[in-house]
Amino acid sequence: MRRRKGISYAKYGYIFSIPFILVYLIFSLYPTLFTAVIGFTDFKGIGRTDFNFLDNPFQNFILILKNPSFQKSLGNTVLIWTLNFIPQILLALLLTAWFTSNRRKIRGQGIFKVLFYMPNIITAATIAILFSSLFGYPIGPINSLFQKLGLSKEPIYFLMNKSVARGIVAFIQFWMWYGYTMIVFIAGVLGINPELFEAAEIDGASSRQTFFRVTLPNIRTIMLFTLVTSLVGGLNMFDIPKLFQNGGPDNSTLTAAVFIYNQAFAGSYLYNRAAAASMIMFIIILICSATIFFILRDKDAVLQRKLEKKHKKALRKAEKEARRATV
Amino acid sequence: MRHATTVPQKLYKVLIYVVCIILALLSIFPFWVMVVNATRNTYQIQANAVSLIPSSYLANNWKVLVGKSFNPLKGFINSMIISTCSTILTVYFSSLTAYGLVAYDWRLRQPFFSFIMAIMMIPAQVTSIGFYQFMYRINMTNNFLPLILPAVAAPTTVFFMRQYLLGTLNIDIINSGRIDGAGEFHIFNRIILPIMKPAIATQAIFSFVGSWNNLFMPMVLLTDSDKYTLPIMVSLLRGDFYKTEYGSIYLGLTLTVLPLFIIYFLLSKYIIAGVALGSVKE
Amino acid sequence: MKRIIALFLACLMIMSLALTGCGKKDDSKEGSNSSDKSDSGTKTETQEPVKEVEDDPNVKVLNIWSFTDEVPNMLKKYKDLNPDFNYEIKETIIATTEGAYQPALDQALAGGGSDAPDIYCVEAAFVLKYTQGDAHQYAAAYKDLGIDVDRLIEEAEIAPYTVEIGTNPNGQVVGLGYQATGGAFIYRRSLAIDTWGTDDPAVIKTKIGPGWDKFFEAAEELKAKGYAIVSGDGDIWHAVENSSDKGWVVDGKLTIDPKREEFLDLSKKLKDNNYHNDTQDWTDAWYADMKGVGDKPVFGFFGPAWLINYVMAEHCGGKAPGEGTYGDWAVCEPPIGFFWGGTWVLANKNTKIPKTVGKIIEWITLDSSETGLQYFWANGTLNGPGGTKDAVASGAVMKKSDGTLDFLGGQNMFDVFVPAGEFANGKNLTQYDETINGYWREQVREYTAGNKSREQAIADFKQQVADNLDVIVE
Repeated sequence: MRRRKGISYAKYGYIFSIPFILVYLIFSLYPTLFTAVIGFTDFKGIGRTDFNFLDNPFQNFILILKNPSFQKSLGNTVLIWTLNFIPQILLALLLTAWFTSNRRKIRGQGIFKVLFYMPNIITAATIAILFSSLFGYPIGPINSLFQKLGLSKEPIYFLMNKSVARGIVAFIQFWMWYGYTMIVFIAGVLGINPELFEAAEIDGASSRQTFFRVTLPNIRTIMLFTLVTSLVGGLNMFDIPKLFQNGGPDNSTLTAAVFIYNQAFAGSYLYNRAAAASMIMFIIILICSATIFFILRDKDAVLQRKLEKKHKKALRKAEKEARRATV
Repeated sequence: MRHATTVPQKLYKVLIYVVCIILALLSIFPFWVMVVNATRNTYQIQANAVSLIPSSYLANNWKVLVGKSFNPLKGFINSMIISTCSTILTVYFSSLTAYGLVAYDWRLRQPFFSFIMAIMMIPAQVTSIGFYQFMYRINMTNNFLPLILPAVAAPTTVFFMRQYLLGTLNIDIINSGRIDGAGEFHIFNRIILPIMKPAIATQAIFSFVGSWNNLFMPMVLLTDSDKYTLPIMVSLLRGDFYKTEYGSIYLGLTLTVLPLFIIYFLLSKYIIAGVALGSVKE
Repeated sequence: MKRIIALFLACLMIMSLALTGCGKKDDSKEGSNSSDKSDSGTKTETQEPVKEVEDDPNVKVLNIWSFTDEVPNMLKKYKDLNPDFNYEIKETIIATTEGAYQPALDQALAGGGSDAPDIYCVEAAFVLKYTQGDAHQYAAAYKDLGIDVDRLIEEAEIAPYTVEIGTNPNGQVVGLGYQATGGAFIYRRSLAIDTWGTDDPAVIKTKIGPGWDKFFEAAEELKAKGYAIVSGDGDIWHAVENSSDKGWVVDGKLTIDPKREEFLDLSKKLKDNNYHNDTQDWTDAWYADMKGVGDKPVFGFFGPAWLINYVMAEHCGGKAPGEGTYGDWAVCEPPIGFFWGGTWVLANKNTKIPKTVGKIIEWITLDSSETGLQYFWANGTLNGPGGTKDAVASGAVMKKSDGTLDFLGGQNMFDVFVPAGEFANGKNLTQYDETINGYWREQVREYTAGNKSREQAIADFKQQVADNLDVIVE
């Protein structure tokens, strides 16, 4: 790049990234590494600062992978995340389509947008307590509603039912986050070149066609972002399952993050096993995210970049040869 | 064609409003319950956790809240310091990093962006054990810095800002600044930051809410009652299981959420107007 | 993508380099720590009955760690009563909810320094960890604080379970409480008269006990009248738990005591015969039964004095006799002795002011005089007259205090709570109780609801313990 004429501003790219990198190295990388390392040690119990590496360094990892509760928690996490994410992204897309449509002006959409994000403001603890009392047994608001409507004669023990408990956790997650997803999507749609919409209108495309042919393909990057952040958040789902039923009933809402927490703090202080489980989760998330990136990658852009690279290489080669020739 | 679809179109519009209103009510519901419970006493709440009708114990709950050994005003100030500082750091440095990624052509640009995407995937909870141990070793407990400084490196915000800049940044603005002889930092602070206002406002909300409601890390790191944040104080009200003051907890929760509301509504015009995120290919 | 992975691997390498450096630092730190420990270890080996201790005159701050403001407030009262007490009290209160108290306390104890606690409070749910379990090495023996502990325990008539729990593996007392949490059976007088023609505690205790067989006979009689004997199976759990001979973990192995295993059958029997309202403790429906507005009228609850004063009295639906169920209650001995809850007060072995700490702890836990804390606590006069009366650790104090409550129809609750403490067992606790009890009760609920066979419930319970704790399960 320095070969180019004029002043080179490239160094500012580095300078502007320094604060981010420094802080990241200090506050995130070290703790991550620390966690990674103690996964291979016998570090457990309280008040200890020393640890030794295990004879079989992967012992904790093997223990965790064989642990039936961990396997169950993985299944729960994926199930609850899917139950929350699919409706969440669909509703967010639907609302985005409604709120960004040029033809239908929804009155009061400003208020709606503001209100939809609101569940995210309240703390998870408050919401968890609220929902467990709503579904109280044998006396509780939902039970009395069911009885008034004649849907049930006897009070129902909702929270003893595994599917119901999972469903409620998924619903809370969905409800807390669809507003955020919607705001991000709307932001993506507003960034699309208006000419594209005009062209679609001139071509006589219906709003549905416009949405699927113009809007969706153009917010792919944003969708990718949403998918990845939601995946990371979802696979680490902790607050609601922990505070709602503490992973119950019968481990049905035990997520991987709750499992990890329990390893470390439920009584035995198995920091090493908790760390090993964390690292396993990290690898799983990495693989999932990589898969998503691979599936949703912008094929044209990748191709273009490859071509550019080839081109650059060829150019450099030619330059070198030219230089050699002059020598 | 258009005339033929008016009736279903109208019906469709009604459907849209019905869905939106239901969702809006669902959003208001927990806040309503919270505010109502702030006016009820502990026993009313324990007997019937969800009620839509206010009671008359607001003054009583307030007395319990201020009668505790900690000072809610102090907690409010502490929370404000932490959340405001970390929000400012997040939006400023994320904008700076994003600008560095968009405006300059440097050799490690693409790897650095990939790196940010990669660390976005590292879950914060996973590393919390390590983080706590580290802070304890370097004697940073009872200090606001471990709760503020990490905000400088916020990969999600950088990503968002980068997308925004890709859509709105015009190289001519930068060049005209350079022709006027302005330094790169000056250009960023005086020209670019104002352009980024909508994105900054949106991210500021997200980041402020996250920092304000954060409970676990502050709780473990701040053990000196002079340093408590508002959410820690509210959680203290839960104290012993048989002496929980639910009325004042809800009052505390309401007071905790109040500043968030104010900030949210102040910044919400950007959410209403929307922020345009660039979808320009990398 | 390749790039990301490559970059990541590169980062990992840098990290591992950085870490080897850090690891070394840890080692050196560990070295100094262990020498600290051996120092304090030698201190305790002196086996004189009472030790003369002196305070470090340079220390002017007393650190107290607790999970409620109860004990910090006692310290303030102590300061008021003793004008020559010239320490600044620095209180750290962290709620046990969210699970933050223990990690923070552990770090503070391990870290030492001027911010380390001098006095710290622990709750029944996790007291064993600090007196006998993983963190017992930090607790100072009361003797080393200059407290003549053996004589005072006898003089104050402290219930044996409190002492058993507060004794470390070397046989030294390191923690005692101020509250008595021995349990009683608290029942409705009107339902007793309707069923048996009397509400006399001396008679009722022979109807509902001793033993579970008598209890279920009474349940059948109450059922005939349309009453439930208890609100839910959680009510009898604390009695079952505490009556067992062995704790959950013996020599590092999970042990299911036959009496605890029997809880499966007791709970099933209650549910199948409709002897209760099937509530869970601490939920809306449980509170409703205290007011008498649940599904069926509930005859009684199992609980210590605090359940009466802080929970039931507030939930009975009234504030004077005749309103709600106020005044319609009485206490008698339970079918099986037990205790539930309580706070133990411990001192840090490394405190610089052992003399002062000892004096305060003695005043809180062992002073049976009329100026001792427990006298104020029993009579509800700590913050002026008219406060809540509570049972206290010292039987001697309760005997000279007035425990009559309008809520109990004028009965003196101490008549029941003084002996109640004697029957409680402090030998079957472990530091894992909170977690293991949670798993057990959940599986019992699955079994009684008919979702699982008895064997399956036990198998799943064992699996949960094996998966989450460092306990051998066979």
